[in-house]
Order: sequence, then structure tokens, then C-alpha cells
Amino acid sequence: MLAKEIERAGIPAVYVTSLPTVARMIGANRIVRGPAITHPFGLDEDERRRIVERALDMLETDVEPNTVWEVEE
Amino acid sequence: MAWELATFSADLFREPEAIEGVEVELVTPGSPVRVTHVLDAVEPRIRPDGRAAFPSEGQAGEGRTNRLDGVVILSCLDFPGEERPLHEQESIVDLGGPGAALTPFADMTAVVLTFSPGAGGHVEIDAHARETTLSVAEEVARGTLDAEPHEVERFELGVADESLPAIAALIQISDLGPLYIQYVYGTPAGEAGLPRAVDPAEILDGAVTCGEYHWAAMRNPTWFFQRNELIRTLYRQHGKTLRFAGAVLMRGYEQSAADKQRAADGAADVARDLGAQGVVITTDAGGNSHTDVMLTCRACEQAGIRTTVVLAEETDPQSTRPILTDWVREADSIVSTGNVEELVEAWSPERVLGGDLLLDGTPAREAGPIPVRNYLGAANQMGQLALSARTE
Amino acid sequence: MKAVHYLNQFFAGLGGEEQAETQPTRLDGAVGPGRGLQAELVDVEIVATLACGDDYFAEHEEEALAALLELLAELRPDVLVAGPAFGSGRYGYACARLAAAAAERGIPSVAAMHEDNPGVGEAGAAYVVPTAVNVAGMRDALPRLGALASALASRRELGAADEEGYLVRGFRRNYVAEKTGAARAVELLLAKLAGETRTEVAGDMDRVEPPPAVADLSSALVALVTEAGCVPQGNPDHLQSVRAQGWFRYDLGGADTLASGRYESVHGGFDVTLANEDPNRLVPLDTVRGLERAGRVGRVHEALYTTTGNGTPVVVATKFGQEIAGELRDAGVQAVLLSGT
Repeated sequence: MLAKEIERAGIPAVYVTSLPTVARMIGANRIVRGPAITHPFGLDEDERRRIVERALDMLETDVEPNTVWEVEE
Repeated sequence: MAWELATFSADLFREPEAIEGVEVELVTPGSPVRVTHVLDAVEPRIRPDGRAAFPSEGQAGEGRTNRLDGVVILSCLDFPGEERPLHEQESIVDLGGPGAALTPFADMTAVVLTFSPGAGGHVEIDAHARETTLSVAEEVARGTLDAEPHEVERFELGVADESLPAIAALIQISDLGPLYIQYVYGTPAGEAGLPRAVDPAEILDGAVTCGEYHWAAMRNPTWFFQRNELIRTLYRQHGKTLRFAGAVLMRGYEQSAADKQRAADGAADVARDLGAQGVVITTDAGGNSHTDVMLTCRACEQAGIRTTVVLAEETDPQSTRPILTDWVREADSIVSTGNVEELVEAWSPERVLGGDLLLDGTPAREAGPIPVRNYLGAANQMGQLALSARTE
Repeated sequence: MKAVHYLNQFFAGLGGEEQAETQPTRLDGAVGPGRGLQAELVDVEIVATLACGDDYFAEHEEEALAALLELLAELRPDVLVAGPAFGSGRYGYACARLAAAAAERGIPSVAAMHEDNPGVGEAGAAYVVPTAVNVAGMRDALPRLGALASALASRRELGAADEEGYLVRGFRRNYVAEKTGAARAVELLLAKLAGETRTEVAGDMDRVEPPPAVADLSSALVALVTEAGCVPQGNPDHLQSVRAQGWFRYDLGGADTLASGRYESVHGGFDVTLANEDPNRLVPLDTVRGLERAGRVGRVHEALYTTTGNGTPVVVATKFGQEIAGELRDAGVQAVLLSGT
């Protein structure tokens, strides 16, 4: 809900979550799939950096509603 | 394979002996009693052949099991506060007053076991409480061993007309770590090799027990598996309106997206192997277990198996839109087991068992209106009860 | 039991359009259509009629409502009946607003009007009995209005809209069905297999168009928001682990990282052990600070917004979102990195 309301206010918001289905259901538009519920930004700094970079890329991209991006290994 | 369930009258009830660290109270049907901090509800069962009524090995759902009608064991425990692991989720059974309509236990004799947590962490405390509760359920039924049953039901799936639709029950059970675990033959759901097909009679015969204590209204205590209405309905309809293709157990609260998808696909595979043309998918508890259900619904529909999903709603009573935690387009046939956010009228019980204060500190005797969500099993998502919600 | 009946100036016999500025007035007993209504009520007496000019209500709604509610508070009725207003928009609006306000104050209330009357959407928790579009439908409307009003006064639990003859209000209400959920599920499934798909709950979601991409992230103010229940160690504001009652804003104070021991997660929907070993696994402040220094992002907003996304009803979560979005917009935030679970 936060993602949707922030985007409704005109601010692009990227939602990093391990549950993209739920994110789609509740109407988030920019979704990056995180590896696990317990650590959506991964366990170590390298993994975290890859996920954050991917999220920032998505903020810089015009997307279709309900888009989910994966993070490459 | 056939299984017989022999029913005996509550007159054969055997009062449990004193148990250290446990207060035992008997409550007669319809008493104005509120029971708090309820962990589980169990039907008294014992097997004449000496095998365990809640087995951790061997196979349930064969031979004969005795049940005591009209008696329920309620186990209660307030876990130590400083590490209270239950996220302030109260679990109430009202044996009288307006809440009595939300439970199947109000017209039964209730054996209320209130555990005093001894030393040890909550995992040990819980293990002790569960084992004790199940053994009390056997002990209480012991009087049936020398008596004649007044009814014997035989559970056996004979040959049915091939033109009837083949229906399976796809039953979700929880495993989200300690205190959030349902067990298959005593093994946590997450380690029980799920999803897999089981004989439906196994579920009715104590193979699944509950050690999962959050989302009181939306969870399924052991009694709901023993008396499972869905499985019993499918047995009854077998050969009449449908062919009962079998039961599949699957885990809720898979912890990663990949595991959730794998489990959903796996469950659909098992249902297809059973030859199911349609499945009823049931749910345990709330939050991301609803995602597991939705993914399973989608996977089944994609595999050509039609689905009906059983879910509780979490709708603000002032809202005009029904709210589900998760939803996919394929979920076009949903049974609502009620809205857990609705309040139940205030009631002042004459007695409180389990603990005088609710987890939020309110005196249980004068708690005011309590939301449905705090009533054990009230909006359970196996369809055990008749509560539902509609737009008015 | 006592009923109070609300009418406009015309039906109360005070005059036509020329009297549409009439202020709220109390008349004794049943008046005009109230006499016909009285004959349809069971064990209920219309003790007073409240009347107000349609124009006066429309132009001075606040004063009119306050005066009418004060009269209602003195009369303490068991039920308020408003109208029928048929197709009249101003009259229907007044009936609906008064009935909604009375219902909010615990007085069972019912208005009557045509289903296309714009008042229908204003009735809130009050009931609306549908009528014909003009006064020719009075004779048909009064028995149905009387029956529902009597039922409301008796505090009997009402059945479904079509059974009781009122328009669907849209509220979800629990009820005990004739069959168990299991039996209903098997019926729904067999019907679906036979080609007739039905559901007791329909999923449908409100959508928002994605705003355009951030033009230049290297000069943008970027905020961190989380639903993962990250709070300063010890949870000073008592954020709930489930069903959050609010959201909190914490000043990052230029910190480089969410250090273990200074921050923790209180989320109740997953095992927080790994997160609490390193809270950056939930809110990647350390990485984002690095990217700020490297010039990849312009500036990190020094306020961290946090709540727990676990069992929060949608309306509540939406409200949190709107409140947080408002603050972010006012602070000039251009992009948000939101972490869930």
C-alpha cells in the first residue's frame, strides 16, 4: 500500500520484496524481487549492492504497471 | 484401505489425574465461561489396538479408533512475557455469551488444561504442553475401551461412477518456525516432505496436530483436522455427486518466492497425479500463507484443475470493499469464512479460565467487544464452521 | 417504540418551493405521508416529525444537521425514517445525510428514495429503501419502508439486502450461513466444473499509473521507507509487530549504516534473527550511503520512515501511505526506495 500511495503522489517508488505476487496484488508498479523474506536485500554487501543498483535502475526507467524485475546473480 | 471411527457417549469420560504444573478444570456444556490463551483444542481419542491415537510413526487411518463425543480438551498457556513470542495474539474460546456462536465447543464438556510455564525456553515449554495435551486426550477416552459404541462410521473409498467429477482436498498446514508449526506424524510441516498425497482418513485420525499459535481465528486447531468437515463432506458425497480423489497436504509459509512457487507447482502436480479435475484449497493462518494459497490456485488452474479457495476476509467494518491479503485473477471461486475484523458484542463471563488478563492487559471478564480475529478457529479457512461474510 | 420522521417543507405541509428556505422545525406526531407510514409500523409510534426546507439544508448543511441532530437527541427515537424523497435530488440528499449522521450516532436509520437519487451514495451506514421515481410510488413505498423501520426499531438482526428490501450499502457483515464453509466450497467447485463460476468474495484492485522515471538520480533526493518493522534498538515508540497502529519517522543523523545493536526489526511475520545481525539486510543504508558518496544518487533523505506491513488492514495501510507520501512530497523527495519483506 505504501508503494502505491507514494506513486499516487507522483514520486517514483521502487519496492524491494521477496513476495512480488503480493506486491502486484496491492498495486505496486516498480517491484524488484529480493531473495528472501528474512533478508530482502540479501545477506552480504555484494549482493546488497546488486539489488540496490537494480532498484535504482528501475527508478530511472519508465515502466508498465505492475512490473517485476529480477536481480541477476 | 478402510478406517472405522467408533463414537462413544460422554458418560464414559475419564477425568484426567493430577498433572504437575497443570491446572485441570472441567466445564459443563453451556457454562458462562471464557477460556483465554488457548493453544489447541483436541478431541479425546484412543485406539483399541494399543497404537497411539496421535502417532509419530506407522500409519493412521486404518483399523479402528474410538472417539468420545461431546468432550473437548482445551490447552491454555501464557508464554513468559519478556520473550513473548506470540506477537500479542490472544486466543479465546467463549463457552457462553455471543462468542459461543463462533466455536463448536460451547455445547461440549470442556477439559481445560492451564499450563504454568516452568523453566526452559518457549520451545521446550511448548513441546511439553503439546505432548501432555495429546496424552490427556487419550487418557480421557480410555473409558471407551470396555464399552460398546453407539455409532461406527466406516471411511472407505469404494469404486465410484467414472462420470462423476474427481475432487481432491488440498489442505495447507503451517510451518513458520517454533510456535508456528503444524505437525504431520509429529514432524514439523516444513520437514514432512510436503506437498504429498495422504489417505484422507489419516487426517481424520490424528496424523496432523497443531502447534501453531498465531492468528487465532484463522488457524486450525487439532480438533479441526480430527473432525475435518471438508474431508467428511467429500466422503459423504463420494459416489453421489463426485468422486473423492484424495487429500494433499502442503505447507504454508514457504519462506522464499522460489520455494512458494515450487510448493504451489508441486501441489498441483500431486493433485494431477490423483486424477483430480477440481480441488478445494484450504488455508491456515494469515499473512503470507495467503500468498501460498493464491500461487497454488494459479498453478492448479494452469494445470487444468479447477479450484475453489477457502479464505477469511480482513475487511475494515467501515470499508465497502472486501479485503483479502492476496489475490490472483485465477481465484474466481472463493468461499468466505467471515471477516476477522468485525467486533463481537461485549460479554461478561462468570468465570475465566486460562488466565485472567488478556495478552494486552485487559481483564478478560470485562474486556468489552472483542474482534472475531481473537476467537480460536472462528474464521478458520478449512470451512469447519458456517461463519461467512456478505455485502449488505 | 418511538420513531421520528423527517420530511421536507413540501411533504410536511409547510409550503412549496417558496418555503424551501424553512429552517429545521419540529412538528408533533405524524404529518403528511407520516400518517400513511404510521399505519404500516408495527409496535412503533411516530412521536414527532422533523421538517426542513430543501434549499436551507443544501445551503446551510452544517447548521441544519446540527439543529436536526439536537432535536433527535432530545427525542431519543428507536428509529429515524427519512422521506420518501423519490427522485428529488435535494430532498434525497437531505434525507440521506441526516440518516447517515443519525446512524453514526447509534440511531437506527432508514431513508427512502429512488435508487438513482444522488442521495443514495450519501447514506453511509443508514439503510435506503428504494422507491419509484415520483410520488405516485408512495402507496407502494410505505409498506416496505414501514416494515424495515419496524425491524430496525426492534433491533432485530437484519438479513441480506434483497431479503429485507433495502439497497446494498456495500458493507461486509458476518453472518452464519446455512451450511459449513466446507460444504459451500464443494458446492461452488461442483458448480464451477459444471460451467457456472460463483464466488463469495470478488477480488478487484484499485490501480495507480506509474509516475515517470526519475530524470537524474545523481542529483535527486532519495528517501528510504520500510515496511519491515525497522526501529531504533529497544523500539522506543512501541511499533507493533503485527497490525501496526501507526508509522514512525526516525532521523538518520548522517549515519553511514544501520548498525546491529542500534537498530532492530520488530516485524512479527518472519524470523528476524538474520535481519537483526545486520539491519542493512532490510534497509540498505550502508550501500545507499556508498552510492551517495560515489555520486550515483544525489542525497539521502535524513528521515527513515518505518512501519510493519503484517496483517495491517488495507484501509489503514493506505492511510499510512498517504500520510508518508504527503511528508515526502513536502520534503521535495524525488525517489523512494521501499523495502518490504
